[in-house]
Formats: sequence, C-alpha cells, structure tokens
Amino acid sequence: MAILEAVGLTKRFGGLVANQDVSIKIEKGSITAVIGPNGAGKTTFFNMITGFYEPDEGEILLGGKNIKGLRPDQIATRGITRTFQNIRLFKQMTALENVMVGTHSRLSAGLLGILFHTKRVREEEEKARVEAYQLLEYVGIEHIANEAAGSLPYGLQRRLEIARALATNPQIILLDEPAAGMNPRETVEMTEFIRLLKKELDLTIILIEHDMKLVMGLSEYIHVLDYGRKIAEGTPEQIRNNPSVIEAYLGKSASEVS
Amino acid sequence: MLLSILPQVLVDGLTLGFMYAVVALGYTMVYGILEFINFAHGEIFMVGAFVGTEVLLITDAIGGLEGMNPYVALLMTLVITMILTGALGVGIERLAYRPLRGAPRLVPLISAIGVSFLLQDIVRFAEAIARNEFYLNTPVLFTGTVSVFGIATIPIKGLVVIVLAIVLMIALTLFIGKTKWGIAMRAVAQDPSTASLMTINVDKVIMLTFLIGSSLGGATGVLFAQNYGTIDPYIGFILGMKAFTAAVLGGIGNLRGAMVGGVLLGMLESLAGAYMGPLTNQAFGAEYKDVFAFSILILVLLFKPEGLFGEAVKEKV
Amino acid sequence: MANLVWKSFKGIPLYVTLIWIAVFSLLLHFLDKSVLSFLGILSSIVLLYFTNTSNKIKLAIGALVLIVIIPLVAGENRYYMEVASQVGIYVAMALGLNIVVGFAGLLDLGYVAFFAAGAYAYAIFSTSQANEFIAGNLFPLTGDWFWPFLIVGLIVAAIFGILLGLPVLRVKGDYLAIVTLGFGEIIRIVFNNLDKPINITNGPQGITPIPAPELFGLKMGTPFYFYFIVLFVIAFIVLANIRFEHSRLGRAWIAVREDELAAQSMGISLLNTKLAAFATGASFAGVVGVIFAAKQTFIDPTSFTLMESIGILVMVILGGSGSIPGVILGAAFVTLLQVQLLKEFSNFLHSLQQSGIINLPNQLDPSKFQRLVFGIMLIFVALYRPNGLIPAKRKTNDLGAIKSSPFSSGKLGILSKLSQSSSTKQS
Repeated sequence: MAILEAVGLTKRFGGLVANQDVSIKIEKGSITAVIGPNGAGKTTFFNMITGFYEPDEGEILLGGKNIKGLRPDQIATRGITRTFQNIRLFKQMTALENVMVGTHSRLSAGLLGILFHTKRVREEEEKARVEAYQLLEYVGIEHIANEAAGSLPYGLQRRLEIARALATNPQIILLDEPAAGMNPRETVEMTEFIRLLKKELDLTIILIEHDMKLVMGLSEYIHVLDYGRKIAEGTPEQIRNNPSVIEAYLGKSASEVS
Repeated sequence: MLLSILPQVLVDGLTLGFMYAVVALGYTMVYGILEFINFAHGEIFMVGAFVGTEVLLITDAIGGLEGMNPYVALLMTLVITMILTGALGVGIERLAYRPLRGAPRLVPLISAIGVSFLLQDIVRFAEAIARNEFYLNTPVLFTGTVSVFGIATIPIKGLVVIVLAIVLMIALTLFIGKTKWGIAMRAVAQDPSTASLMTINVDKVIMLTFLIGSSLGGATGVLFAQNYGTIDPYIGFILGMKAFTAAVLGGIGNLRGAMVGGVLLGMLESLAGAYMGPLTNQAFGAEYKDVFAFSILILVLLFKPEGLFGEAVKEKV
Repeated sequence: MANLVWKSFKGIPLYVTLIWIAVFSLLLHFLDKSVLSFLGILSSIVLLYFTNTSNKIKLAIGALVLIVIIPLVAGENRYYMEVASQVGIYVAMALGLNIVVGFAGLLDLGYVAFFAAGAYAYAIFSTSQANEFIAGNLFPLTGDWFWPFLIVGLIVAAIFGILLGLPVLRVKGDYLAIVTLGFGEIIRIVFNNLDKPINITNGPQGITPIPAPELFGLKMGTPFYFYFIVLFVIAFIVLANIRFEHSRLGRAWIAVREDELAAQSMGISLLNTKLAAFATGASFAGVVGVIFAAKQTFIDPTSFTLMESIGILVMVILGGSGSIPGVILGAAFVTLLQVQLLKEFSNFLHSLQQSGIINLPNQLDPSKFQRLVFGIMLIFVALYRPNGLIPAKRKTNDLGAIKSSPFSSGKLGILSKLSQSSSTKQS
C-alpha cells in the first residue's frame, strides 16, 4: 500500500522549472532513494513533500489524504519528518534539548500550565527528557547529551539530527544526503543504521544520496530525476541497467554507477 | 476648494518624494549587497545636512557667499558634503560593520542602531560647542518661485531639489550599468562568493557601495536643508524610516524600485497630509501622516514583500 | 592564559560576599546619603551571583538583602528607594523584552508600546479621564483598584501584543525590527492625538492625578512602598522567565531563534510560537506600566518614545540576550548609569562651572548623554561582547536523574516499537 504519493508535482522559480510533473509512489516500510545529478531537483522535491515549498501543480497524498498546502509544522505533526543536507541543529542548545524539541507537538503544556508548573506539566517534561535520552542512546551519542549541539563533531551532528527527527514520532523520514562528508567506514555504519531504523522502528525511509554504493546497497526502489523530470524508476538492478540513467550521469562510467 | 490646492500638494509631494528616492538608493544598494539594513543611513543624511549648512555658514561668515552665483555655491557645498559623508560611510563600514560580517544577523543591526544614536549626539555636541545651539538655519540660496501653467507655483529651491535628484539618479544608473566597478557591484550583489572567485575584490566593492550610498545620502541632506531652511540632529531618523519604506515599496535591492518608491511615497504622504483632515472632518488630520507612511511599510511587507519591482526570493532550505 | 585563570575561577568565597554586604550596610547606615555605599549594597547581588555556594543559600542571602537590609538601612531615604524602584521597573521590563529578543530572537524596537498600554489602562480608568467616553460618571476609581489593574494591565498589553503580532510577526528577519519600530511610533502618535474625535488619552496634555495604590485604607504612594511592589513583580517575572526558559514553549522559542526552518520541521508553528513570545513579553511590560503610572501620578506620550524602547534593548543586549542574570545586571547597570552616575557627573561639572573652572554649554550636560552612551554601548557590545556581560548558558540536565526516573523503565515515543518488536520476537 502506498503510504505517500506525489502526483504530477511541478515547481517553478521564475523561469526555472525545478520539478516538472514528478509522480512518485512510496510503499509503506520501504527504503526509497531519489537520485539524480546536481541540480536535478531532488531537494526541491523534498521541500515540497515537507511543505517548505508549495507545488505549483500536483498533489501530495499521505495515507490517501491530500497534504498539499499545509505548513511544514502541520506536515511534521502528520508524521513526515526530515533531516537537512547541510545539518540544521539548534546550535546553542544541548544535544538532549535538541531532541526534546522534537517532542514539541506531542506535549501539551500551555502558557499557564508552565507558569504554575502543574504536576501534569512536570510529568510531561520528565517523560520528554527520558524519551530524548533514550533516543540519544539509540543513535549511540548519549555521552554528549549535555554538550552544545553546535560544538559537536560533524558525524555526531548527523546522528543527533536523526535522533531529533525520530523524536517527532514519524511514519516517514526523509534523509537529505545522510552520508555526505563521511568517510567510507562511517558511510557503512550509516547504511547499517538506516537499515536498522526501517527494521526496528517500522519507518518508511526516503533518501537523497550521491554515494552510489550506499544507494544501490540500501534502497529497495529508486527514482531518478534529471533537469526536474523523473526519467526512470525501478529496483537498483533495473536502474543500473537503464540507458537513460547512464546517459544522465554521462561523464561517469557505468562501472561507477554500479 | 480641495481641488484648488491639488497642484501645490503634488509639487510638494514631488519634492519630498525625490529626496526619499535618493536616500532610499543608499538603503537599497547596501541591502542588495550585504542583505543588511544600514540603520545609520538616515543619520548620514542628517550629517550631510549639517556639513552643507556649515559650509554655507562659514563661507558666508568670511564674506564668500556675497556675489557668488547661487548655483556655484550649491555645487561647491554638494561636492564638499558628498566627499565628507562618503568618507564617513566608508569609515563606519570599516569600523562598525566589517568586523561583524558572518556574525548572526541581529548583531550588525544592533551595531548600526548604535552608530545611528552616536552620530545624533556627536552632531549635537559639535554644534553645541561651535554655535551653542543645535537647531541651525541654513543660508537659503534660492528664493524666487516659478509658475507652472498658472495653476501652481514652484519655489525655485524645490525645482533645484527635483532636478539635482534626477541628475544624481541618472549618474548612478550610468555608473552601475556602464563602468567596470558598477558591473562588479552587480556581480557581488548576485553572488559574493562567485564574484570573489572571479577576482573581484569584494571588500572594495562593499566600500564603494558605502561610499556612493553615503555621498548620495549626504547630498540629499544639503538639498533638504535648502528646501526646509532649518535642521536639527534628529531629522535623519524619520526621513530615514520613510526612505527605507520607499526602498521596500519599490522592492529592496532594486535601484529603479527605490526611485519610483520614493516619489510614490512622497506623493502619497503629501496627499494624505493635505486631504486626510478635510475628508475625515478634522478627526484625523495631518498629524497622522507619519502613521500613514508606516502603515504603507507594514502593508507592503505583509502583502507584497518583494515590492513593486523586486523578484520574489525563496529562502534556501 | 586569561582563559585559564577564568576557568580555574570557582567563584567568590562566601565570606567575602558576606563581609561586603555587612560593610556597605553599615556604611550606608552611618554615612547618610553615601551614594557609593548604596551602589555597594546593590552590587552585592551581582557578587552573590558569582559566589561559590549553593543556589539555595544565594537565594536566601539575596532575599535578605533585598527584603530586609536595603529597606532597613536605606528605607528612610526617599531618593535611594526611588532609585531602587526605578532600577526594579527597568529590570522587570528588560526581563519581559528578554523573552521576545533573548529567547525568541525577535528584535522588537517598539516594546515600549506595551508599557504604554498598561500605563494608559490604569491612568484612564483611575482618573476622571474615563468619564470623557463612558457615561454615568463612574470614575475616578480609588487606589484599591490598583491591584486588580495589575491583571487588567497584563491582559490589555497581552491583547495589544497579539493584535500587533498577528500582522507584524509574518514579516521576516531584519524587517521585523523596522516594522516594530514603526508600530511603536504609530502607537505613540495615536496616543498623542486621541483627544479627538473622542477624548480617550487626553492627547499631549497627559493624564493626572493617577491615584497611588491603596491597601486596606493604607495609601502606598511613597517610593518605600513602590520598592516592595516592584520587588514582588520582579520575583514573579523572574520565576516566570525561569519556568518558560526550560519548558516546551521556551525550547520552541529558542529553536525558532536558532533556525526557523528546522523548528518548523519539528512541528513548531512559527506564528503561534512567536505570538506567545510577543504576548508574554508584552504582558510583563503591561504590568510594569500600571506600576509606572501609579508611581509617577502623571503620564503623557513623551514617556513612551523610541528612546525608551532602545534603552530597554540596550539593557538586554548588554547584559546578555537570553540570560536572566545577565539581563538583570544589564538593566540595573544602565538604569544606575542614567539616573545616578550621569547625574552625579553632571552635578560635579556644574559645581566646577559655578566655581568658574570650566565653561560648559548647556547642551554638553552629561545627563543629556543618553544617546551617546547607548550608541557606544550597542556598538561596543556588538563588536566585542555579542553575548553580553553574562552570556546565556543552557542548563545541563542531570543524566543520573533521567536514568533513575520512573519513566525510564520502558521505551518511550517511537522507541516503544522496539520493545514491541522484541517482545513479539520473544513470544
């Protein structure tokens, strides 16, 4: 069953067409990759799914319901979360607090409740703190719980960003180049970790990635964008042998794609 | 009755509008390149008014104004003022803004607010020491009026403002469009990092931007003083706000927009000042004309933040 | 090197602080009108903050100094109490603005408008001014109404905050500063002109006589009483600040300040979060406005200019945007600088002038240095100490307490799926 369906998404910036009639179906519990050369419109696609850009045409269906036109925060509370290509943490906050921010929409404390520090608010806070700590443990960085997020090394920031995304209790997580800037060993670890996310947490995962090894090894299904259009979709095996994909990546040898 | 004052109202609006337009250029140029609201730009305008007035007062004191052609006197004043305020702008950029490039966005804005207040008091002190008062009367160079088709009289000083403002704007447009440095400025405004890869010295371009913007602001100060006769250290604040509104109205970062926005705002404000009172039975009169201008600013930012001529830009995710 | 020294600095020993307090209390008691010893007592609060002892002891000593010692040794001196309550008023305002600027990162240059809203709310209804537009000759109210009006001022200012915030907060980044500045000016101009067509604010003439607070027939019009009223309000605002800072809402504010896009993708609604910050900050200013009106007994639009907004902003930025102790220090420092130090300096120069040593134009009177001083401070802080005198620090959570929390027994949130899948595996 398709949990997420993009139908004919088009986005223009002035004269530039960033996405043209892109339709993509995502199966529940799958790992799907969106690939394509630089400037193919992958991040634009992510931004439309997560509500940062409103599509000029087309629809986005989450579990059959249209979510086009909703604000990013509304989409987040409906179970779609994301990480960013260039890591966007709340730098001055501690790692633990970053993750606690993710629990925001599931907490209910209001102005007065906070002011009077009611029992319910205190319990809710404690629960959120425990949950955040458990998530840090889950991604393996609980030892830096009290460090400011901005001062962490790059690899830990990536993990923290995923922990924070998980705190929104998502059904679908969009990972924008999760292995960017990582060395081969870290990339392998990240691949394993993404697989674990799917298996243990029952998540649907969509990722943008340039590392073809990671994409081919990890994803069950791949969509290829080029110049804003979808030029191919299929299993890694099909994509690897698709002539138009190889053409889009011209300049890279076919062996590199495989 | 209401219609009979219309030509006069429009002429006043035009004079005011052209002054807004030239000051707005300074805001828009800096914003186009640094994406930073140079809060102190209104004060540069104010300093220009004081420098110009002092030049005229001193020339007059040594007997130089007598017998001098008023146009020559104005030209001399403008040149001296533009050099000094241009240098002031460059100095402010160097000392108070450049060290903060790359800092969180609020920080340079706070520095700019500080510069703005500092300049107001420095001018006040300087005048208090030199002349024991800080409300100055400018020697007015032009006194006569011309009649336009017999329906409105324009004071010559107003005409001078309009003509000079147009000259300055044409000069700037030519500079930006035709010269090597103008092209460099446009390149930096579009993409500073690529521009620097193309061996454009970004620091120099920013300096140049402040130099030009501030000398234009200073020149407007001279024109303002000529047009209204009295100045004080606080004229920059409200005029700066209006000019900024004009820049936003036209589309910030867009030179043509700043010019059109300035003239448009001047006209609207002049009309509002003249007609709001009679139209609301004196319940809301000319005392609300600043409210009117601010309301335009807020409405534009809410409903058409890219302004009349700007392009909608989407934040990069 | 300097850093090393700073890191090894554990705080001022407790006995030094206690001796400091004792010495200055005695000095102030015996030397009447010693400004220095009065400042010494006030600064003991700063000393206390840096003292190496537990928070409970700090709180106890601080309360002792503020509630007992200062009223005891300085209570008879109207001037000291006046200065102290003025400091308090600005501390309270700065703490309110700190929520907007410090926590939520919204540069509000029209903050004084909310202060005005509170002040006018009390002024209009506590004098006969309200009769101008409400029939029945019900006014003026007595000073007993001061107390409920603290709440009224809070609500009126909060409503103002929401009404202004709804349009204004849709504006992005730097523009917000300009738009709030514009709105602040609009409010002032409107208050200045709302003597017609209906006389609501009495225009530039202002409103007087605003009654002093009254409690069970006791008129509380002297600075001595205001000192306690202000102290009470500050205690409330500090408590609120602390609770907000480490709450769901406070985290959302800071998240929005740090990165709006990331905050949104965490499910945080930008507009609601910013509105909450605006309304909360505004409501504190509203309460303080009521106190201000009662203390001054007269208000007019000149008390609510842009300079006031900038002054409060300077306090927040100088002290440390987002840092509660920093903002308190900043507000106290700037207020004392204005009402005490500059005035003293100015008196000193006047005495020199009278004895003919120097000739000082009236315009160079240091008490008029406000803009210069604010300007220099803003530039200085931006260039050299952008995080303020006492930078904001995030609280470190006690990880031991988290691990031993009763909630730790099971997996929470999305991780609860872990235990489900493992339990299904086991079964």
